[in-house]
Amino acid sequence: MSGPLILALPSKGRLKEQVEAWLADCGLALRSPGGARGYAAALDGFDEIQVRLASAGDIAQGLLAGEMHLGVTGEDLLREGGEDADEAVMLLAALGFGRADLVVAAPKSWIDVETMADVDDVAHLYLARTGRRLRVATKYLVQTRAFFARQGIAEYRLAESGGATEGAPAAGTAELVVDITTTGATLAANGLKVLSDGLILRSQAQFSASLRAAWTPEGLALCRRLLAIHEARARGKAIASLAWPADQDERARRIVAPFAGAGGQVRRHGVLVDRSNVLSAATALSAAGVGPVSVERPAYIFDPSCPAADRLAAALGFAEG
Amino acid sequence: MRVEAPVPADVLAAIQAPFLETPAESLDAPILQPLGLLLDLAGETLRERLFVVQGEGPEACLRPDFTLPALRAHLASGRPSGRYFYSGHAFRVAPRGLERSEEFLQIGIEAFEPGDKDLADAEMAALAWRACVAGGRDDLTLLLGDVGLFGAFIDALGVPPPVAVRLRRAFSTPRRLRQELERAVSADGGEGGGGRLAALLAGLSQADAAGVLEEIWALSGIEPVGGRSAAEIVHRLAERAELARAPRLGSEQAALVGRFLALAGNPDECLAEAADLAGAAGPGLDRARGAWARRLEALAAAGVPRARIRFSAAFGRAFGYYDGMVFEVRSEALGEDRPAAAGGRYDSLPGRLGESLPTGAVGCMVRPGRAWSGGAG
Repeated sequence: MSGPLILALPSKGRLKEQVEAWLADCGLALRSPGGARGYAAALDGFDEIQVRLASAGDIAQGLLAGEMHLGVTGEDLLREGGEDADEAVMLLAALGFGRADLVVAAPKSWIDVETMADVDDVAHLYLARTGRRLRVATKYLVQTRAFFARQGIAEYRLAESGGATEGAPAAGTAELVVDITTTGATLAANGLKVLSDGLILRSQAQFSASLRAAWTPEGLALCRRLLAIHEARARGKAIASLAWPADQDERARRIVAPFAGAGGQVRRHGVLVDRSNVLSAATALSAAGVGPVSVERPAYIFDPSCPAADRLAAALGFAEG
Repeated sequence: MRVEAPVPADVLAAIQAPFLETPAESLDAPILQPLGLLLDLAGETLRERLFVVQGEGPEACLRPDFTLPALRAHLASGRPSGRYFYSGHAFRVAPRGLERSEEFLQIGIEAFEPGDKDLADAEMAALAWRACVAGGRDDLTLLLGDVGLFGAFIDALGVPPPVAVRLRRAFSTPRRLRQELERAVSADGGEGGGGRLAALLAGLSQADAAGVLEEIWALSGIEPVGGRSAAEIVHRLAERAELARAPRLGSEQAALVGRFLALAGNPDECLAEAADLAGAAGPGLDRARGAWARRLEALAAAGVPRARIRFSAAFGRAFGYYDGMVFEVRSEALGEDRPAAAGGRYDSLPGRLGESLPTGAVGCMVRPGRAWSGGAG
């Protein structure tokens, strides 16, 4: 499938709103020519990109299958693609929203169970007593199996749950649950608690590339442009710029040297520093008699290098670019 | 999907011949087996190896072997005893990255008969051996193990009962066993869950404790969900408390357990050394030695060369539902991941299906595609 670069974005719910906000913040307006119900869209300034709207689950499957080049969806859904999901999809940028933890939860009433080691023990006892295995309700079959296998627990069964996974123990169809949670409130409301070592994955929305799609150098270049914009915006938000009068430059440089360390860069009569340091740097300058010092927050800080795009190029077998 | 190359008819007949020497009913088992039952018995790790089939009803899978089908057929027949011969295709998903046949021929016998169990064990192993030899390979070994021997050993060693219980449970997983040994030596009873509440409950009689726990649940508004009763939870707390109070496992004892697990080689020597390591005799260990002496004698009488028999104390572990003697016939060319034959005793499996048998249960299975020297395995 050569042709336009296909970018898949969530079509509904909170994730759709968060993705639109992210794009808008980056200065990329999303147009929906098909109206609110359409499944196609376009990014202003990127006419060569075909934007498809789909559910987060479909985006994950599409990326894994190579039906689309790029997409935004939850890491939890991507990792359900299988043990070799890393060979099918590359995570290019964690977007900082859509956060949720994939966890193992047990009944609150099991006061003797706090850890996976306890689960291991109880599973064995349960099997010996009833001849049946502990049932774990989940939609996340792949990650649950992998996690339990890493813990060395084999004496259990997965009970695939379509609807409300967390209600399975109360309904009597499972003993344990593996599910996505943000606050833990739904789990608690269902009589469940998260095991102390039961965190399987800290998931969030990921801007990802399919390693199985048919990429062209042009497509890769477009991806690099998108990534560069995202990274530039992220850098801009993390960094502030200070500026001082030219004639005080020498003294100012000495003062800001400690703040301009990691992540800071010296400019003409100024410096870029991490936002967390900006007030300390500014007050240090004032204390040394340097002033006036202006502080600005850049909208973007573009850098020629884009390591994520380089990684993608390398994985796809393209030379640099 | 890889289907194995067919074994030449004359070789197949030679491999099959030993199985036809004793009268047995021909088993015609369905290719589709109930997925839930298989996973219940063999565990979730088996699921990766299964071809799952989705129809209208409950999930089914293609049979990965004939043991469960044979057992189900026997239980359904209602007969007090039976011996079943099977020959048919079985199906297993190949592990990722490995070029293995996913559809292959299996032949074998499952026997649910009264009579001398040790001799029956030896008969099955000998059967598997003779069938494999007929395949033409000259690099075969008969590897023997005993799932129950570990328990007999640690009892004879005098390991304190609460610790012995935990070690026995951990036997099937090397990593867990190591952890349990370390824990037993360091007298770390294991923190586990519940904290102070758990400790307090463990101090009450189990009947009282169960009642108190239920009251606590009611007071805290905890809805007890999941199939464990207050009595069960309290029982485990009491067990843990007992474990914490139990005398430590001496580091010398732990070392002896380690040496037992490393026992491998000539069966007679291994068993003699096991007795030496245990120091004091234990009725379980004595019985095991006696049983093995009889099995080895029977194997020799059946023509299995002594030099080709190996015993391994640790071998009994990852065998799922087997609970007695276990064996494999291995070819050096194929390696330990691709045994040409396997089998063992599984007396307690029928009980797990809800129907105890008056007889034992033992069987053996051969893969002609592997036994055949011209096969890719």
